[in-house]
Amino acid sequence: MVMRDAVAEGLRRLLIPLACRAPVRVFALAGVNSPTNIDDLRLRDDICLVDSPRSANVLWVAGLLPAPLQDSARRVHAMMSHPRATVWSRPSVMTAEHATLFPHATIVGPSEDLFEALRTVQRALLTKRHASDEALLPDEEPAPWRGVGPYGQGGTGMTGGVPYGRPMAERAPDRDGLELDQLPMRIGPFFPPFPSGLILDVRLQGDVVQEVTIAESLFAQGNVLSSGESQGDLLRDPFRRALTEPVPVGELELARARHHLRWLAHALRVHGLEALGRRVLMFVPALEPGKAGDILALRRLLDRIRTFDWSTAGVGILERQQLSGRGLGPVARAAGLSDDSRLVDPAYDKLGFEPLVHNDGDCRARWRQRLGEVIQSLALARAGAQPAGGAGSVESPRGVLRPETGPTPALLTLLPGLVRGMEWGDAVTTIVSLDLDVREARAASPVETPTSGKPAVERDE
Amino acid sequence: MTDWLVMVVVTTTSVGLALTLGIYGTVVLDRVIGRSIAGEPLRLTRALVGPFQHAALLLLQQRSDTERSDSATWAVAPALLGALAAAALAVVPLTPAVALEVSSGIVYFGATMAMVMVAVFLNGWSANSTFPLIGGYRFVAQALSFEMPLVLVLIAAALPAESLNVADIVRSQDTLWNVVRQPLGLPLYLIAALGVSFLGPLGLPDGIDLAGGTVAELSGTALLLWRAAQAAVLVAVSAMGAAVFLGGWLGPWLPGSVWMALKTLLLIALMVVAKHLFGRVRLERFVVVSWVVLIPVALVHVFLSGILALRRIGS
Repeated sequence: MVMRDAVAEGLRRLLIPLACRAPVRVFALAGVNSPTNIDDLRLRDDICLVDSPRSANVLWVAGLLPAPLQDSARRVHAMMSHPRATVWSRPSVMTAEHATLFPHATIVGPSEDLFEALRTVQRALLTKRHASDEALLPDEEPAPWRGVGPYGQGGTGMTGGVPYGRPMAERAPDRDGLELDQLPMRIGPFFPPFPSGLILDVRLQGDVVQEVTIAESLFAQGNVLSSGESQGDLLRDPFRRALTEPVPVGELELARARHHLRWLAHALRVHGLEALGRRVLMFVPALEPGKAGDILALRRLLDRIRTFDWSTAGVGILERQQLSGRGLGPVARAAGLSDDSRLVDPAYDKLGFEPLVHNDGDCRARWRQRLGEVIQSLALARAGAQPAGGAGSVESPRGVLRPETGPTPALLTLLPGLVRGMEWGDAVTTIVSLDLDVREARAASPVETPTSGKPAVERDE
Repeated sequence: MTDWLVMVVVTTTSVGLALTLGIYGTVVLDRVIGRSIAGEPLRLTRALVGPFQHAALLLLQQRSDTERSDSATWAVAPALLGALAAAALAVVPLTPAVALEVSSGIVYFGATMAMVMVAVFLNGWSANSTFPLIGGYRFVAQALSFEMPLVLVLIAAALPAESLNVADIVRSQDTLWNVVRQPLGLPLYLIAALGVSFLGPLGLPDGIDLAGGTVAELSGTALLLWRAAQAAVLVAVSAMGAAVFLGGWLGPWLPGSVWMALKTLLLIALMVVAKHLFGRVRLERFVVVSWVVLIPVALVHVFLSGILALRRIGS
C-alpha cells in the first residue's frame, strides 16, 4: 500500500507541470450584470468551456445569480469533481445573501483580469496551493431509499408516480397510440444550450417530448432582474437605453448585428459546429458599418454545407396567426409578418427602412432571417449618429422591448405546444431558435396555457 | 508454437503502436482542422503538445460517481470500446510483413464494429442518469442504419479478391484500387464509419443537446479513456478503409507501412473535416435516408460488384 501511494505521488508530480499548462476546464453559470460575456471565453486558447460540470475544474459564476437560481447553482457546484474551485466575476452590487453563496470563491472585480484569475486558480488547485472546494450541500440522497435490495428492486410502489420522492417512469400512450413508459425530468436552469434561468419539466417517451411545462419557481418572484442588479446590464445595452433616450442608429444596428451573430454562433455550436461557431464569434468585435463581406461569405458557406439547413428545415414551425401583433421580432418576420417597430420610428423612415421577411416560419427561416438582418443592420449602421428610439418601446434583436417586459413571455406561452411531439434534438433546436431571455419574463406570463398552435406531431403527419 | 507466439507478440505490438500513434494523430488533426475552419492561427507546437496537457489534467481529476450507478459496467465500457478497436485493427494488414492472415477478416471486422453498440450503450446506461441513458439509446436507434451499409460495402470490396481475408483484398488492388473500381464504396463506407465512431453528423449519442450525452457524467480518467477509445475506433475504421479501398500498403517509393499510415491519416482527416463542417443530423431523418437510400444503394453496389467479379472470372 505504501509503495502504491509512493508511485501514485511520483506520477502526480510528473503530471502536474504538464497539467498546469493545459487550458482551464471551466463550467460557466451565467448570471446578470457580468462584466465578461461567456462567449468571450470560447475564443481563448487557455480556456476550455465544458458542457457538463462533471469534468470542470473551475466553476465560473458570471455576475449575480438571482435568488431562485442560487440553490441550483449549489447543486451544479456539488456535481463537480475534485480538485475544484469557484471563480466569481464580482458584481457591482453585493448583497449579504450573495456574499454567502460561494464562501470559498475567488472574487474577480470588473477591472481585474478574469482569464489570468482562471489560470492561476487551476494552477494553484493542481499544485495544492489552493484547497479543493468543500461541498456546499450535504452529501446525502434527496430521498432515503426504503425499497428492498441494493437497488430497491423489491420495493413497493415501483409502478409509477414518485415513490420515496423519486420520479419513476409511468405508462402513457405515445404518438402511435402505444402504451409506453414516460420519463419525467427537469431541465435547467443552467443547461448549456438554453438561456440561463429557463427551467423545463419534460416528460419524454424515448427521445420524444410528450409534455413540457415551464417551471413557475423562477418567475413567481417577478422579474429576475431586480432594479439594483440590473443597472449594469441596462447601461451596457443600447436597446434598454433607447427606451428612455434617443440612441444613435449606428450604435443600435451594430448592437443588433452583434447580438444576432452571437446567437448564430450559439446555434451552430448546439448543432455540433463548434469551430464554425468560433469563426462567427470572431466576426463580432470586428463588425463595421457597411462592411458585410465576411458575413456574406459566411452565408454562402452555410448554404453550401447544407446540413445546418437539413437539421433546421421544417422544424418548429410557427404560424403567422400565432405571432401576429405580439412584437416577436425576427421570429415573426421569419414567418412572413412585417412586424417591426422601426417602421414607425422617424429615424428609420428617413433611411427608407423596410423589414426583411422570410416565409417558412421554421428554424431554418429564423437563422436565415437573423443572418439577413445582420447584413441589413450593417447597411443601416452607416446612418451613424442619427438618433432613434426614446419613445418608450424599441425594436430589440428579440422583438419589441418595453420597460416592463420583452418578447420572451409571449414566446414562452407558445413553447409547450410547439415542442410537444418533437424528438428532443429538434426541441432543443426549436428553443434555441426562439432566442429567449428569461430575464424579460414577468410573473404569470410564461405559465399561461397555450391558446394556439398545433402540436408538432400533427404537423409531422 | 514459436510461430504462434511470435505472431501474437508482433500483432499485439504493432496494433498497440498503431493505436497509440493513431489516437495522438487524431487529436492533433482534430485541433489543427478545427482551428483552420474557425479561422484561428494554427499554433502547431500547441497542437502537438496539447493532447499531453489535456491528458495530464484529466488524469489528475477525480473520477465522478452518480447515485446508484452500475460502477462495474461503467468501468468496463471504455475498456470494451478500446478492446473492440484493437481487435478490429488486428485483422487490418498494416504492412505486408505484419499481415494477420485471417480467412474471414472482413466478417470478423464487421462483427467487432457491431459490438461497439454494446460499449456505447453500457457507457450511457451505467451512469443511472437521464442524458447518458438517452445518448445510449440514440446509438442503438441509429446503429443498424449504418452497420448494414458498412457490412455491405465491405462484402462488395471482398468480391474482386474472391477472399474475405483483408490482406488478400489489399493484394487484389495491385493493378487498380477499389476506390476506382467501386466508386460508391468509399463514400458509403465513410458515412458508416462516422456512425461507428459516433462522430460529427452522427455524433448524436454525445450531442450538446444532451449536455454531452453518454459522457455527460464522466470526468477524470474515465473521460480520458472513453475519448481515447472513441479515437481508437476511428483509427480502426480508417485503417480498414485504407486497406480495403485505397490499396493498403501498396504504393511506390515509400515503405508499405508509411503508405498505410498516410492513407489511414487521410481518411481520419476526412472524417474530422466532416465532424467540423457537417452538424449533427436529425436521428429520424438519418434513419429514413439510410433505409430508403443508403442501404438500397449499398445493395445495388454489392450486386454490381458481384456481376463485375463474375465477368472477370469468366473471362
